[in-house]
Amino acid sequence: MTVTAERPAEVTPRRPDRGPGSRADGWIRRAPLLPALIFTIIITQLPFLFTIYYSLQSWNLVRPGSRQFVGLDNYVKVFTDSQFRQVALNTVLLTAGAVIFSMILGLLFALLLDRAFFGRGFIRTLLITPFLITPVAAALLWKTVLFDPTYGLINFVLSPFGAGQTDWISTFPLTSVMIALVWQWAPFMMLLTLAGLQSQPHDVLEAARVDGAGTFAVFREVTIPHLRRFIELGLVLGAIYLVNTFDAIYMMTQGGPGTASANLPFYIYQRAFLGFDIGQSAAMGVVVVVATIIVSTFALRLIFRSFSGEES
Amino acid sequence: MAEVEFDQASRIYTPGAKPAVNRLDLIIDDGEFVVLVGPSGSGKSTALRMLAGLEEIDAGQIRIGGKNMVGVASRDRDIAMVFQNYALYPNKTVGENMAFPLKMRGVDKAVQQEKVKAAADILGLTDYLDRKPRALSGGQRQRVAMGRAIVREPQVFLMDEPLSNLDAKMRVSTRTEIAAMQRRLGVTTVYVTHDQVEAMTMGDRVALLKDGALQQFATPAELYDKPANVFVAGFIGSPAMNLFTLPVGAEGVRIGSSDLALPGSLHSRISSAGQDTITLGIRPEQWAVGGDNGDGAGGVKAQVDVVEELGSDAFLYAHLDDEKQTPVVVRSAGRSGARRGDQIALTPTSEDLHLFSPETGERL
Ligand SMILES: Nc1ncnc2c1ncn2[C@@H]1O[C@H](COP(=O)(O)OP(=O)(O)OP(=O)(O)O)[C@@H](O)[C@H]1O
Ligand SMILES: [Mg+2]
Repeated sequence: MTVTAERPAEVTPRRPDRGPGSRADGWIRRAPLLPALIFTIIITQLPFLFTIYYSLQSWNLVRPGSRQFVGLDNYVKVFTDSQFRQVALNTVLLTAGAVIFSMILGLLFALLLDRAFFGRGFIRTLLITPFLITPVAAALLWKTVLFDPTYGLINFVLSPFGAGQTDWISTFPLTSVMIALVWQWAPFMMLLTLAGLQSQPHDVLEAARVDGAGTFAVFREVTIPHLRRFIELGLVLGAIYLVNTFDAIYMMTQGGPGTASANLPFYIYQRAFLGFDIGQSAAMGVVVVVATIIVSTFALRLIFRSFSGEES
Repeated sequence: MAEVEFDQASRIYTPGAKPAVNRLDLIIDDGEFVVLVGPSGSGKSTALRMLAGLEEIDAGQIRIGGKNMVGVASRDRDIAMVFQNYALYPNKTVGENMAFPLKMRGVDKAVQQEKVKAAADILGLTDYLDRKPRALSGGQRQRVAMGRAIVREPQVFLMDEPLSNLDAKMRVSTRTEIAAMQRRLGVTTVYVTHDQVEAMTMGDRVALLKDGALQQFATPAELYDKPANVFVAGFIGSPAMNLFTLPVGAEGVRIGSSDLALPGSLHSRISSAGQDTITLGIRPEQWAVGGDNGDGAGGVKAQVDVVEELGSDAFLYAHLDDEKQTPVVVRSAGRSGARRGDQIALTPTSEDLHLFSPETGERL
């Protein structure tokens, strides 16, 4: 008996404009979400359009009647303003510094917690607490309880060594703010990396040990590649949040001395609500938003790449 | 290459609990392929992991090449292990995975490449060297894990159920390949499985564990022909050996409603043991089947419940006509025409029936 295999029918991809998954079908499914989308657009995008509109005007609230259209004048001023550049640099330093140091610290804590020891649950709770404190309260705590030149604990601890006279916040304003932020954010990084550490397959670690890797080699060759995506996620989320830091600066230094510890949100706030220069601050706002969009596009691409099953 | 020795080695996970491995004694010769087999939870993996240095040796010693391994780190034991789920490094390519043990030992880059290439040739992985493990099939991952073990040229191979994630066909072919490769490389190998077919076909010798204790350590043939106790007798062989605990009579044993005359030599073994009951073991193929027509006179009467026709032969699952309706399994020729409900008469064909003490379960 002869068996003739039938030629399999050509596989044709489904036409995109009919059947389930088609365009019309998609819109029917999305329709119930539209009100929420429209609401979101109204409350986020309309203010942005207004900001763009203001940024094209010379408008200072303390000089009534002086409001007029000036084209891109405000933008030219923003880019030639040396304070703006200083503040932009501060923002980068503060964000990057706080994110990186809190990640290093968080990773160290996570490594310590990733083993069984007596009282682990208690220690873990203690380590997480800073993250649960209201940012304003945390900033106050650092400003008054720790950094204060007269009553501060840091100077008190250092005084036996003859180094108890420093006014930390005036001498190292940006660093002081950064330290407070690192203290608050290290627990977040710790939680993320701890989740990463505990999701490591045991047998892979054992295989590495059998294959001749010592503790450090296991960490470098197996653990770090596994943690990479968790670290990237922590860095990006931390940066997105910390680039907007306001409370810590407001409470601890008021951006000073001068603009030594101001970042962009704080500087724009100063220009708008203390200098009443609506046009200028609107232009700065637009510049910051555009820069943020550019940076976060790359950052989000990074996250999506490492989470799209690149490794697993 | 080295001899491996378990000397009263024990592992106690939780103090006070029953040891997971209890005073294990094994002497594995240089180049030998030894299979650890036993039911789930019998301590096979634990014993292997003790040898690998992944579990403490709480009592006794384990020696590799005569050197005591207590307190020696895994990486200093010169062993290579294949894990059940392969444990490949997900962020490294196949080539990097296989080169990793060499890299960790500071082997020259060029030599690494050369050895990886040679191993990849043997295992048919040459085309996949640049892929990440997640882009491989289960069988290919298994090969990579094997490759990572053989590039090392270790003293001992350790394998913990390396085939259990493969489909039945792959398992059979890979089984043969592993055994052949081990013979060629001549590296002492300890192989854990719960599959008795793997144990019987692959091992030079098989160690059977139960509850952390060694039951018997012997060649597959000896395990089958001379099981050391009732547990071994019941574990090895499929379908399992028929085991009956029976009163001893004048000429043989009483089984069901009939007297089963045993061959003379067997009967003298029973009487010399001085027992009045005995555990008798008869493998399914050690029965001759007679029908109602009288050719099975003197045999044990049984009624067929299920016929499993395998082509070349058939297994009859029957029960004796005693009050407990003791089940019995019989191998008969294929297509013998036996059907459910048939009355059959069974006679033991062989003198090599198995006798065990009913109290201790030990072979007599
Ligand atoms: N980490 C552990 N802590 C406590 N007890 C354990 C641990 N690992 C294994 N055991 C116990 O030790 C005994 C032996 O386990 P082991 O993993 O060696 O069994 P196994 O023979 O490999 O079984 P399987 O065929 O199911 O893999 C089991 O009773 C198990 O519950
Ligand atoms: Mg196991």
